[in-house]
Formats: sequence, C-alpha cells, structure tokens
Amino acid sequence: MNTHVALFIPCLVDQFLPDIGTDTARLLRRLGVSVSYDPRQTCCGQPMINAGRTDKARTLAQRFIDIFYDASKDSAVVAPSGSCVYTVTRHYPELLEGEYKKKALELAGRVYELSDYLVNVLGVTDTGSGFTGSVAYHHSCHIVRGLGIMAEPIALMDAVPGAQMLFLPDMDVCCGFGGEFSANYPEISGAMVEDKVNKAVATGAEYLVLAEPGCILNIRGYVEKQGLPLKVLHLAQVLATESGTMGKEAAS
Amino acid sequence: MKIETERFVEKAKEGLANESQREVLSRLPVLFKGLRDYAMSTLPDARAALDTGAAIRTNAIARMPELLAQFEENITKNGVTVLWAEDYDDAKEIVLKLAKERGVNMITKGKSMLTEEMGLNAELIASGIDTFETDLGEFIVQQAKRTPFHIVGPAVNITTDEIADLFVKVMGVERTMDLNELTMQARDFLRHKFLSAQMGITGVNMAVAETGTIVLVENEGNIRYSTSAPKTHVAVMGIEKVVPTMNDALHMLRLLTRSCTGQAISSYISLINGPKRPDDIDGPEEVFLVIVDGGRSKIYADPEFREVLQCIKCGSCLNSCPVWTKVGGYAYGWVYSGPIGAVLNPLLVGEDRAKDLYFATSLCGTCKSVCPAGIDHPKLLLKHRERRAFGDKTFGGKKPPLTERLIMSIWSWGLKGNGRYRLGSRLFRLAIKPFVSNGKLTRLPEPGRGFTEVRDLPEPPSKTFRDHWRDAVERKTDGEERSTT
Repeated sequence: MNTHVALFIPCLVDQFLPDIGTDTARLLRRLGVSVSYDPRQTCCGQPMINAGRTDKARTLAQRFIDIFYDASKDSAVVAPSGSCVYTVTRHYPELLEGEYKKKALELAGRVYELSDYLVNVLGVTDTGSGFTGSVAYHHSCHIVRGLGIMAEPIALMDAVPGAQMLFLPDMDVCCGFGGEFSANYPEISGAMVEDKVNKAVATGAEYLVLAEPGCILNIRGYVEKQGLPLKVLHLAQVLATESGTMGKEAAS
Repeated sequence: MKIETERFVEKAKEGLANESQREVLSRLPVLFKGLRDYAMSTLPDARAALDTGAAIRTNAIARMPELLAQFEENITKNGVTVLWAEDYDDAKEIVLKLAKERGVNMITKGKSMLTEEMGLNAELIASGIDTFETDLGEFIVQQAKRTPFHIVGPAVNITTDEIADLFVKVMGVERTMDLNELTMQARDFLRHKFLSAQMGITGVNMAVAETGTIVLVENEGNIRYSTSAPKTHVAVMGIEKVVPTMNDALHMLRLLTRSCTGQAISSYISLINGPKRPDDIDGPEEVFLVIVDGGRSKIYADPEFREVLQCIKCGSCLNSCPVWTKVGGYAYGWVYSGPIGAVLNPLLVGEDRAKDLYFATSLCGTCKSVCPAGIDHPKLLLKHRERRAFGDKTFGGKKPPLTERLIMSIWSWGLKGNGRYRLGSRLFRLAIKPFVSNGKLTRLPEPGRGFTEVRDLPEPPSKTFRDHWRDAVERKTDGEERSTT
C-alpha cells in the first residue's frame, strides 16, 4: 500500500479553486498518508490536447513526466480531477515516443483520481467526514466513462454518516463544460448545464457533489448566475469536513 | 444533399429556440436510450456483445478490399449484377441509366442514407421519374421537402399536426390527428405506388462476403415490398458495408436492432441472394447492386480515420448525445448528425467546412460507450482538431487563424516553467481586475465572453494553491510535509 502521495493539483484548482487542493491534502493526511507537492508543476496540457495542439501538449507531457516520474517511484500521484488523470494516463502514452512513452506507460500505473485512490489503494470508504446535509451526486464524464470510476465516489459518500444521498436522474450525463466548448458554444453548453442544474434542484438536495474541478466551475457558475440556492462542492471538500465544522468551512 | 455544415452555430441556435423540437428531443433519450439499454440488458453479457461487434467491424474494415472481392464473386454467382461507382455522380448515372433502359417511370425507394448523400431522388425526379420514399418517416420528410433529422427516425421531430396538414395537401385525404388513421392514409397512398413501380431502390445494411448476401433491416415491410413487387431491384451500398461471414452478420444484427430501436429483432429482416428463381413465388426478375466508393476509400487509406467506416448507422450515438438532444439533427447541416456526423461529415464534405461539428462537443464519451461497432468518437474528434491545428489538407483542412495560434503559443510557453506560470497568473489577475464586481466575473470579454454569458466565474483568489502550500511549509517545522522544491 502506498502511504505517500505526490499531489497533482490541476491548474484550474491552483488558480481558481485552491480549497479543493488544500482539502485533498488535509483529507489524505487525516487518513495517515504523507503528502508532498512539487510547485514546479503547472498544467498537464489537457487544453492543448483538446485544441488539437499535440505539439504543445507533448512538451508539457514531457515536463510532467520529468517532475513526477522519479518523485513517485515508491508512491502514488493523486489528483482531485478525473480529466487531468485521464490526460496523463490515457493521452500521454499516445502522445509520446521512445523513453518518454515507456515512462508515461509506467507512470500511468501510479496516477490516480482521488476517489479511486481512496477506495482501491487505501481501501478506505469511511473517511471520518463530519459533513451533514442532503446530497445529489453527479458523475463527471472523464471519471465515469473515461476512467470507468462510478462505484467509488458513491461508496465514499454513502459512508458519510451525515450525508443523505438523493437520486439524481441522468447522473452520468454531461454537464456541458468541455473546456473551451463552454466558452465557444455558450448556447449549447448553457442548455446542457441548465438541464443538469434543473434536475439537481428538483431532487431537493442542498448540495450537488462531484469530483471534477471543471464541472464545478461550470455548474457552480451557472447556479450563481441564476441565484439558485444549490451549493456545489467537490467530493474532497465533503470528505475533508471535520466533525463540528459544518457551515464554517465546507459550505463557504 | 445540400451541404450546410458551415452554418452549424446558426442552425444549432435555431434548434435550441424551437420549443416543440426541444420537447420532442427531451423525450428521446428516455425513449430510445431507455429501450436500447433494456434491450442490451437482455443479452447474457452486453459488454462482451459490444466488444464482439467492435471486433467484427474492425476485422471487416481491415480486410475490406479482399472481402469486397469475395462478396462480388459470390453475389455475382447468385445472379446479381454488380456495378461499381467511384463517386456520387457515377452512382447516380448508373441508376438513371438502368431506369431509362427499362423505361421506368415510377420508383419506390427504401430508406438509404447513402442515396441521401448522393442526392439520388432529386436526380431521378429531375429526369421525369416519379420517385417515392416508402419508409413512413422518410416519406414524410420527402413530401415535406425536408432533410432527415435523425439517421433512423428521419421525421421524429415533425409533429402530428404538421403531418396531418401535409397529408391533406399531398394526398387530398380528410384531415385526421389519429395516428393509426394517418399511418393508414400513407399506407393506402403508397400501396398504389408499390403496385405500379417498375423499379425498387434500397440501401444495404450488410453485405455478407462468404455467401454473397445482402441484408436489409426494417420494421414496416416497405423495403421488402420494394425488393419484391417491382421487376427490377437496385440496391445501393457503400464499400464499408461488407462483413466476412453470416455469423458476423447475425451478431451485428443483434446489436443493430437493439441499438437502433431497442428491439431484440426488427419486424422484417430480408436476406437477398439474387433474383427470383424459377420455383420462387415472388421476387424481382433482376437485381443490380451498385457499390459506391463516394470518398470512402480515401478514409480507408488514412489509418487514423479508418475506424469511422466501422459505423453501422444504428443512430444510438445520437439518442444519447447531450449535444444532439439539444440542438437536433438539422444543425449538423448534412446527411449525418450527432457524434457520427461530427466525425464522418468532415471527411466527406471537407474538414474546414465542417469545423464546428468537431469542436461543438464536450467530448463526454457517451457515444463511444454505446457504439456497437467499436468507434471511439472522442478520439476521432480530437484527431480532426489536431489535423486542423496543423493545417492538414488531406480532407480539406485549413490552418487556424494567426491570433488563435498566437494565444496557444503564449499560453503553452507560460506553462513551461514555474516562474513564468506565476508571472502569468499575476498578469491574468491584473488583466481581469476591471471586470470583477462583488468578487465575481460576470461579463468577461473574448475569449472568456461565452463562458460568463451563461455562468459567473469566481474572482481568482489572491492566494493560489501553491501559495497556500508554501505558507504552510514555512509555518511548519516538524517535517510532516515534504516540499520537493
């Protein structure tokens, strides 16, 4: 079992949603994992891949491998994002050649999405979270279909004693983020996020929980623009909630 | 068919604003995808069945040239005349010549997407041959002078009201809103066409190489009618339809009907080996098969896009697509819509002309997860974007504008070092400062305009994650945290 984790904090989290990063670190430590963070890391190159710029992405992939390959030899790399993990584990090996390709394939075996790491490596479902509230869970595309992770986040949420889980219809249908798609096709993307939020609101849940930073920016941004009461949280924020702190940190 | 792929954004907006269409579309995933998921669950191992389907189609396309030769040999032995067409014009000329030689003045037609690609109906009608689509949906589309909205349900967006009016206008019948009555009106009208048509034209769902058999799949019986009542049957197929064995065809059939309409099997499956034999009670006196390349061998020759040819046109990628079920089929501007349209249309009409098709997608991967033919749509969508980025001209691509390339270069450069990244982060915060109000970004200029049109962005916090981390490391001395700086 890996008891050390090298944090892979996506640029979106670093720049816009740092709480998700600090909560991920806090959660892992509480579960007895030592955590390191290499501040040389920037972006995995996912936006470049999505724009077709494989040349630019290749450089960033090599850079990522230079930073993480040796540092994680005896441990795991964990990120609170499925799409960034997908980029590293699925796109890098296709993008690279020679020595880097070999390293990318090897590294892919030790890069984990957070819920995957908690359940399948640490063997933990009860994270000791003090979170309370009614929750609808949304499965983000790259986690559920990209990485095939569906049961893990649900198991983690189910083990939170204070969380009342409500069924979200079409929980695995895309929220309409898709990176540059959300900026370039606002009408289509907007119709998708509207659908997602309407369904979440209809469950009557206080919280919509998910594990993908991009989807959080999208869904939370829509909820705020519409002035809706739904609170949108990352799974790490829910799980990291200490007993007796509800309403102070997690929901802020 | 007229190519309007350049108008995707405009037509998507039209689709989004069309309330009755939105209403229909909102029910489709529940209906079609629900039926499909249920039908797949009746298989002992649905995932294995899909994987087998993928393997069959991958193998079939990999061996396509050899299989086509085998198929031609066998179906010729069965008494079918095979005619090869390099492009749409060739194919239309062949069909037209066959019709003219036989003095045909009326044709009934089974649903065929390839003939939509070719624009066959318009050509036949222009030559004075009455040509009737006989699939109910396709009939409605043809009479309404529209284009197919969906590969499988071409008229799924047209309301009963519109159909009732259309039938009054076209057939001079009494107006009714009763669905059975409407169907009977079309049936009545078409029955006379079947009886007087001298030629029936159909597509081909699968071509079985080992037996020389054409497989046709339908629910209405109109295809069987078109292949058996007229004296001459002309089948038109794309070169990608071939499969090695009857066993392969039967497995694909299991997947096709389940993926299409959620049926374990459709009402009619026709296996056609050739014309009527002396002891047959019915069947056409002659059967012609037009095998059309129509840009497909060019796709075959490109190893990165070859897998597009594995498609069996079941339409399941449309029914579950969160973009298609919002904008509808017309937005895609050509024969194929939804995820398969987004990967296939650019290869057939030109990558630059169909640019929005492969960019207007969130790459959610639902299409890939339901595909019975093993197509990885998200991978192919990214491939299109990559080809465009580098100005690859194989499929009519064009390099993106300089500004776009410049932004990408600066952005990527800024990510290649910690120092520049931090500097960029600071500059970004300064640049957006004027747009912040109440801790939010509610109206950004380009390129963020579209994002904040629908959503509010939080103002980037003054401290990034790395700032928090550095502060924490500086605070602690117990060595609990390791910084690997």
